[in-house]
Amino acid sequence: MTAPAVAPRRELPPKPRNILRVALIVTVLVTLTVAACTPAIGGVEIDLASISKHWANGAKKLGQMMQPNFAFLPRTVAPMLETLQMAVVGAAIAAAISVPLTLWAAKPTNANSVTRGVVRTAVNVVRAVPDLVYASVLVAMVGVGVLPGLITLVLFDLGIIVKLVSEAIDSADHGYMEAGRAAGGSQFQINRVTALPQTLPLFANQWLYTLELNVRISAILGFVGAGGIGRILDERRNFYAYGDVSVIILEILVVVVLIEVLSNALRKRLA
Amino acid sequence: MNAMTFTSPVPRRPSRLWPTIFTVLAALVILIAVGGLQISWADVPKIPENVAKYLGLMFAPPSWEKLPRALLEMWRSVSMAWLGAILCVVVSIPLGILAARGVGPAWLRVALRGIFAVIRAVPEVIIALILLTVTGLTPFTGMLALGIAGIGTQGKWVYEAIESAEAGAAEAVRAAGGTTAEVTRWALWPAVAPVLMSFALYRFEINIRTSAILGMVGAGGIGSMLTNYTQFREWDTVGMLLIVVVVVTMLIDMISGAVRRRIMEGARPRDLARSA
Amino acid sequence: MDTAWHVELDRVSVTYPNGTRALKDVSLRIDAGEMVSIVGLSGSGKSTLIRTINGLVRATDGTIAVGPHEVTSLHGRALRELRGHIGMIFQGFNLAERTDVYRNVLVGRFAHSPAWRNLLGIPSAQDRDVALAALESVGMLEKVWARGGALSGGQKQRVAIARALSQEPSIMLADEPVASLDPPTAHAVMSDLRRINQERGLTVMVNIHLMDLARQYTTRMIGLRAGEVVYDGPAKDATDADFEQIYGRPIQVRDQLGAAG
Repeated sequence: MTAPAVAPRRELPPKPRNILRVALIVTVLVTLTVAACTPAIGGVEIDLASISKHWANGAKKLGQMMQPNFAFLPRTVAPMLETLQMAVVGAAIAAAISVPLTLWAAKPTNANSVTRGVVRTAVNVVRAVPDLVYASVLVAMVGVGVLPGLITLVLFDLGIIVKLVSEAIDSADHGYMEAGRAAGGSQFQINRVTALPQTLPLFANQWLYTLELNVRISAILGFVGAGGIGRILDERRNFYAYGDVSVIILEILVVVVLIEVLSNALRKRLA
Repeated sequence: MNAMTFTSPVPRRPSRLWPTIFTVLAALVILIAVGGLQISWADVPKIPENVAKYLGLMFAPPSWEKLPRALLEMWRSVSMAWLGAILCVVVSIPLGILAARGVGPAWLRVALRGIFAVIRAVPEVIIALILLTVTGLTPFTGMLALGIAGIGTQGKWVYEAIESAEAGAAEAVRAAGGTTAEVTRWALWPAVAPVLMSFALYRFEINIRTSAILGMVGAGGIGSMLTNYTQFREWDTVGMLLIVVVVVTMLIDMISGAVRRRIMEGARPRDLARSA
Repeated sequence: MDTAWHVELDRVSVTYPNGTRALKDVSLRIDAGEMVSIVGLSGSGKSTLIRTINGLVRATDGTIAVGPHEVTSLHGRALRELRGHIGMIFQGFNLAERTDVYRNVLVGRFAHSPAWRNLLGIPSAQDRDVALAALESVGMLEKVWARGGALSGGQKQRVAIARALSQEPSIMLADEPVASLDPPTAHAVMSDLRRINQERGLTVMVNIHLMDLARQYTTRMIGLRAGEVVYDGPAKDATDADFEQIYGRPIQVRDQLGAAG
């Protein structure tokens, strides 16, 4: 009666072989990266030499920017106000339009897959164009000023709100809809009376988020003439007045943080 | 027959004072903002017709003459975006890990999070403009700008993901006597790795749009083509460029989105026998 | 509601797109004013059966007559109008949790209110009166302004009953109305349904899988198994053996609810 000193060897089930798949993925990634670094076929030329040559330049500019010229502040008030106004109005218009659009884009609130597909595709196309591209093309179309910036913000915000809220609606349960249907309600009645209050927190969350985003973006839109503080920023930069540039950036920073705090507080109240 | 009248008194409706005040205030703010804007309201009705005219110039039909160059420049923007994403991810993952609760000392955590917040608040265009003085008006500048600017958001996502990773697995490893390194390797990493990869791909998607913007301020790529031809008012080429941007962006969104979904849901369970 | 309606199914079959045959050639007649329970295990076709009556599920074969109407031939607006006369309550209550009870009950007035009233959120005086009367009749008037989500299960189901009653229906459908409720509340809701049947003479059809509740509260019982009718008779006379036949297996503890406590 001897107990075995060593456990008997067992046959293990074969280990799933995903070495091939991992190798494939790594190859693809490496190829992409190498191709991206080859200027000849349109890649980026990684010029590390220039960093070592000119880093002092950049350091100097950074140094200049570390000394903000607060005397410049009064001149920034009006453009900053314009930026804020654009942000608020843009978010408000987008909020109003976003409700019917979002309800059309989500499956529980729109049973018609054709109109749903049309709205979703349109939103995806709108989202694929960067904000500054809209601004620059719109400026060429309707002229310099606040209007192209406003339209840009509305388009940008709609893209975000409709996509995020409609996805949230799609992934939630909507038992009350069956009750509405059983009572003889039309899709419109069900949406307006029950779905809207139920989804309002989702909407409000995104509306506040777009308000935040708008303030950041509208600071840049001025670069192409679409109104707001970006114009002054660009002008000062062209004069190499980096002290002014940095005070403007600081201002933008402060405003953005304030809006973020405000919006977070509001979002917590609504949740 | 059922009675249509009721006898008990109806309870009073609860006060809706606060929500009403809030709505009125919000409406006031919006109205004031609208009032202050310098828009020539007389011109507004003419806009749809204006826009329609330009849309016609751009897309009916667009000019495919410069398509090869557009595709090359688009690839340049994509490369910028890709390399920028790699740079950003490579830097932000270790920094983000250090900024997570329970990993590094408190002062480091605060410092890192502060740096992330500052970078997040500075628009990418500004970062690009500073870099311009070092690396010039090149796609390399764009790539660096994308890499650096993304650290703010990416770092935040990294430490948030780590902090919300399941504490249970970590506890199990520690209870079995594992060190912090082993906890990281066996409990945290498997939970967090898919999320981080997903974020990296998302950063790539965001970068595609931003690289077009950076191109517009001089970093090269499709953005610079767009600015040029818009300034030349060659609308049919602008139309073609827009189509290229939209199609490529949507394609990349779709592929990247599908890959991200696959990563997050895990691979479909496979028959062990099949993969031998 | 003026009169209660009868229901007649004539050789009704329902086959779902994925191939499942939920109902096989079912023929039934339920007279106006009856209180009927439909008993069977999950998967027996109960949910499908009750939903063919108001068209939430379309029958693939056969016809269904509800009062003077023929459900299978109705679509769109006409179907919605028919549904306005058919009240329905559900296992999951299906209330809009973030909205107050008042508005939840007003959902029952959908078929009777024009779109503009819904758009602006202004119910007519009649809608208001009917809704409040319905709430009072289930004893929930004092909770009229409470949020749907703030109520207990039993209260939610009562509100759901009020919602159905405010339609002034000619027939009441209940799909497993007490499956999510504890025994005392379940008994209370079942006796509410019975009261509605007796006081108003309303035709009531209840899907239920609990034997004792079916026996205690309904007058007629229809047993379904695998999409076919296997029992049809007075509820009191149903023996345990009958139930075993309906379930297709011996009776278990979970088939009975127990006393009201």
